[in-house]
Amino acid sequence: MTATIPRSAAPTAEKQGPVTDDAGERPSRIRSLLKRPSFVISVLIIVWWVVAALGWQIVGLEPYAKTGDLLASPDWAHPFGTDNLGRDMFARVVAGAGPALLVGPLGALLATVVGGTLGLVAGYYRGAVDTLMMRFFDVILALPSLIFLIVLVGAFGISTAALILIVGILFAPGIARIIRAATLVEMGKSYVTAAKLQGEKDSRILFRELLPNILPTLVIQATLSLAAAVFITASLSFLGLGEQPPSADWGLAINENRIYLQTAWWTVVFPAIGVASLVVAANLIADNIREVSR
Amino acid sequence: MTTTSVERRTALLGLLGKRVVQIPVVLLVVSILTFWLLQVVPGNPGRNALGQYATAAQVTAWNHDNGVDGSLVTQYLHWIGGFFVGDWGQSLVYSTPVRELVLERLGNSLLLGLYAFVIMVPVAIALGSAQAYREGKRSDRAITVGLLSLSAIPEFVVGVVLLLVFAVWLRVVPVQSAAGASGDFFDRLRVMTLPAVVLALGYLAVLTRMVRSGTSEAITSQFHRTAVIKGLSSATIVRRHVIRNALVPTLSVLGIYLGTLLGGSVIVETLFSYPGLGALMVTAADRKDVLLLESGVMITGAVSLLALLFTDICFVLMDPRIRFNARETN
Repeated sequence: MTATIPRSAAPTAEKQGPVTDDAGERPSRIRSLLKRPSFVISVLIIVWWVVAALGWQIVGLEPYAKTGDLLASPDWAHPFGTDNLGRDMFARVVAGAGPALLVGPLGALLATVVGGTLGLVAGYYRGAVDTLMMRFFDVILALPSLIFLIVLVGAFGISTAALILIVGILFAPGIARIIRAATLVEMGKSYVTAAKLQGEKDSRILFRELLPNILPTLVIQATLSLAAAVFITASLSFLGLGEQPPSADWGLAINENRIYLQTAWWTVVFPAIGVASLVVAANLIADNIREVSR
Repeated sequence: MTTTSVERRTALLGLLGKRVVQIPVVLLVVSILTFWLLQVVPGNPGRNALGQYATAAQVTAWNHDNGVDGSLVTQYLHWIGGFFVGDWGQSLVYSTPVRELVLERLGNSLLLGLYAFVIMVPVAIALGSAQAYREGKRSDRAITVGLLSLSAIPEFVVGVVLLLVFAVWLRVVPVQSAAGASGDFFDRLRVMTLPAVVLALGYLAVLTRMVRSGTSEAITSQFHRTAVIKGLSSATIVRRHVIRNALVPTLSVLGIYLGTLLGGSVIVETLFSYPGLGALMVTAADRKDVLLLESGVMITGAVSLLALLFTDICFVLMDPRIRFNARETN
C-alpha cells in the first residue's frame, strides 16, 4: 500500500488546468465512476456495513448474550453458528462492523487534515522547517509501519481516542509528503505569483487559492489512507492491541477463536469474511477514484 | 577492465560512506523518538511497571534502580549508554536479560524472513516475466488482479484460510508453529512453510509488478531487438540482456521489504504462534515492557537500514548506469 501512494501524486497535480473547467469535469467523473461495476459493488458493501454498524441494535440482535449451545455449527437458528460462549456468530459479525468503521475512518480523516495542512505549509514556506520536517518524516517512514504502530500503542494506550490519534500520526507523514510535492508544482504557476503580487494574505493563498487546486490529490490520498487505516486497525485488534473483549470486533474474534479452528471453523471464517470484504471494498473504491481522476 | 573496476570501487565507497554516516544518525533519531514516546509520554515509568498498588517509596526505588530518575537527558543517556555497551536491562514480563531474549527471537525472525524471501523471489520472477511476455493478454490481466486482491486482504485472513485448507483439512502441516524453534531441520522446515508462504504472498503482488515492468521495458528496447537480429539464441538473450535489466527496478522494492521481512512480521508470527521478534514486541507493548520494546525497535530499525544498505550495494553492482551517474556527479 505504501508503494502505490507516490505514483498517484504527479499526474493529477500536473493535469489540473485552470480552475474554471473543473466544474464541467466533476459530474462526468462521478458518472464514469458509477459505470464501473467494481466501484458500485464496493460502495454497496460499505453501505451494508455502515447500516449494520448503526442498525444492529434496532433489529434486536444480541451479540453479547448466550443464545445457544457452545460452538454449535451453523443451522437455521444461528446461520453462522455460535462461539465458545454460546453467542450467536451472525449477531457478532454484524455488530463487529461498528468498531471496524469507527477508528479507521476517523483516523484517516485526522491524518488527511494534519498531513494536508503540514504538506501545504511546508511546500508554501519551504526553508528550514520544510527540510527538517521532511527529513524527520524520512526517518519515520524508514521504520516498518507496524513497528512504529506498536511504539505508538506503547505510548498512548489502546483507548478508542488513542487509536484514532495513532492512526492519524501513522498516516500523516505520507500524506504530507505527497501534498507538499503537489504544492510545489502549483507554486510554479502564475496564479500564485499573481495572488502574491496582489498582496493577498498567506492564509488566503494557502486555503483559497492552493487548496482547491490540490484537492483532487488530497481526496485520492484520503481514500487510499482510509483503506489502509481499516486494514491497520483490523490488524491491531487481531494483535490484541485494539478493541478488548467482549467487543464483537472482527480482528479480535479471529484471534480469540483461532484455537477453535479445527473444531469450529465458523467462528473464524465469518469474521474473516467481514474484514476481507470491508478492506477489499475500501481498496477498490480508492483504486477506482484514482483511475478516474487521471 | 581496470578503469571499470576502479570506478565501481569509488562509487561503492562513496555510497557506503554516505550510508555509514546516515545509518547512525537515523538510529539516533529513532532512539530519541522511541525513548520519548515510551518513557515520557505515558508518565512515571516506575508507576507503570509496578502498577497502582505499589507505594510511592517502591516507585521511587524502582525508578532509581532502573536509572529513570533525574532529568530526561540523564535518563536517556543512561539508557542509550547501556544499550551501546550491551546492557539492555531486564525484561519485566520474562524476567530475563533483554539482550538474550531479543537476539534469540531475532534469529528466529531472520530465519522465517529468509525462507519467505527464498519462496517469494523465484515465484515473482517467473510470474512477472511470464506476464511481460504476454502483456495485454487475458492471462496477464488475471495474474495482476489475482495478486492485487491477495495483497489487499489482511495477512491474518489469508493465513486463516491457508491454515484451514492445509492444517485442518489436508493435515500436511501443524496448526501451531511454536514447536518449530527446536527439532531437526526438516521438522522446522515443515512447520515454517505455511507462515513463510503467508508472509511471501503479501509482498508478491508489488514484486511481480516490478519484474513485469522491468522485463517488458527490456524486451521492447533497441538492444533487445539488436540481440534478436544478431541471431542470438533466446536463452542467451534472456540470460545476458533481459534478466539484468528486469531485476534492477525489482531490487529497489526488495530493499524496502527485506527489512520488514527480516525484522519479524508481527501479524504472521502472532497468527502461527511463531516465536519471533515481532510477536515478542506485541507482547512487550501489551504488557508495557518498556526496555524490551525499546531494544526491539532499535534492532528492527538497524535490520531495516542494513537491508537498505545491502540492496544499495547490489544496485551498484548490477546497474552500470548508477556507476556512471555517480562518476558524473562527483
